[in-house]
Amino acid sequence: MGYDILVKVIELTDSEEALEKRLEGVARLLSGSFAFDQCAIYLFDQDKKILNLAVTAGDKRSAGGGCQKAYKENEGFPGLAIKKGRPVFASRSKPAKGLWQKVPDKGANGFATIACCPIKDDLLYGVLYLKNKREKTLSPIQKKLFSVIALQLATAIKHYEYIVNLTDANTRMKDMQARLVHAEKLLALGEMAATLAHEIRNPLMSIGGFAKRLHQQTILDPSHVIYVERIVKEVERLEKLMDGIVHFSSKSGYEFLSEDINKIMEEVIQFFEDDFRRNRIDVIKDLSLDMPMVKVDRQQVKLAFNNLMANAIQAMGDGGTLTIKTRHKDKWIVTEVSDTGGGIAPEIMGNIFNPFYTTKETGTGLGLAITHSIITNHKGIIEVNNNMGIGVTFTIKLPVAITGKLLTVLKRRTL
Amino acid sequence: MNEKILVVDDEEGIRLLYKEELMDEGLDVHLAASGEEALAKLEKDKFDLVVLDIKMPGMDGIEVLRRIKEKWKNLPVILSTAYHHYKQEFGTWASDAYVVKSSDLKELKTTIKDILNTGKR
Repeated sequence: MGYDILVKVIELTDSEEALEKRLEGVARLLSGSFAFDQCAIYLFDQDKKILNLAVTAGDKRSAGGGCQKAYKENEGFPGLAIKKGRPVFASRSKPAKGLWQKVPDKGANGFATIACCPIKDDLLYGVLYLKNKREKTLSPIQKKLFSVIALQLATAIKHYEYIVNLTDANTRMKDMQARLVHAEKLLALGEMAATLAHEIRNPLMSIGGFAKRLHQQTILDPSHVIYVERIVKEVERLEKLMDGIVHFSSKSGYEFLSEDINKIMEEVIQFFEDDFRRNRIDVIKDLSLDMPMVKVDRQQVKLAFNNLMANAIQAMGDGGTLTIKTRHKDKWIVTEVSDTGGGIAPEIMGNIFNPFYTTKETGTGLGLAITHSIITNHKGIIEVNNNMGIGVTFTIKLPVAITGKLLTVLKRRTL
Repeated sequence: MNEKILVVDDEEGIRLLYKEELMDEGLDVHLAASGEEALAKLEKDKFDLVVLDIKMPGMDGIEVLRRIKEKWKNLPVILSTAYHHYKQEFGTWASDAYVVKSSDLKELKTTIKDILNTGKR
């Protein structure tokens, strides 16, 4: 007798079942074969250094009520077994050895005999814990078998962990591969969109440009003026869309040069002069004279501010005040663009930087998204201060100094 | 006397638009449909400024720019193109300005005026 149980344990541990099912099979077999009331298997958490109950078999409602859910690595009989690195056998009625009294283990309450064996090879995987309500003595061969079964369990758990790790690695690799393919697809799509945008831009420019010329002719019939205005407007909208697509699909890096933010702001303001006049918008320029140079891509930053201006102008269709403020605060070049256009509705605040989100009939929904991406590409910060009923202030913070390393990173970066 | 400028673009519609719009600005506008034609015109006549498209069949704008700057170092050249990203190519650095094409010619006109007012570099 005895060796057949080993064969059964090997069969159970080698099965294709989930680890828990296999351990459960072993636990049931052990409590049955050794005629113990309860058999529990704890698994060792290498990170938290704690033994967690994995499975139990036999009488679960034994005196003492069930099994302790977890043991610290130095707690109770399982802790002792780990410390000794070999099986521990203890009986309540053998005070000579004093083990039962010396080792506090609530899990052993109500039992008379325990056998506890670490499941280990070079590493600790867990503990095998048998308990019986009545006094019981294990024969030397049973004790030996007990150790061998624990060793077999260690091997099974180790293999299981290998397989889990392998499967994990495999899943991660597949996941990474899928993301790579997705990124490549996006890149190809972006390139196609950019090429298309460029090819569309030339004819669009002709259409829009000539429509503008027609618009300036005085001989037009009033109804035709409306048609022509429509053409001009729609072309401008398409051009903006093209700009946006090209911006987001552009692989070109940024060209960071030392620039004077005040000068950039003056240029941006100048660009919109006609619009300010047409919409009766007063412009207050509050530009600090104490502004250090800032390393930026001039065109990109102008585009970022142009988009803010365009929004402000649209918000102030019935006139208003636009305030442009520049300041030097610690490590930041701070630029504020404030309008008196009534502010942004709270329910759309969360979306304003999302591409293709727009509340305007003719908007592309790319303006603020582009501004946001440009500012973040400069390692800057964009903040919105919304005063419902009054207006909105966009605060752009650009770092005064950009290190050489960061510059290289940004230049290499694909947008 | 009106400043004489040469517009180089392979798209007929764009050439015509530039011509009309820039004439309204009081400029003496001449046209070329290719890089080769542009260089031939520059050989024959003296110009104050060149507006040059980059993407053209045959000799592209970057090559034309190189040849212009080789021969007429002080002749200002504005690159005007639908492609933002050429700005990154060192071949375009020799140009005096870089304007992205748009049906709104305001930026181009301002740039032309600025360069002509500053005088030759």
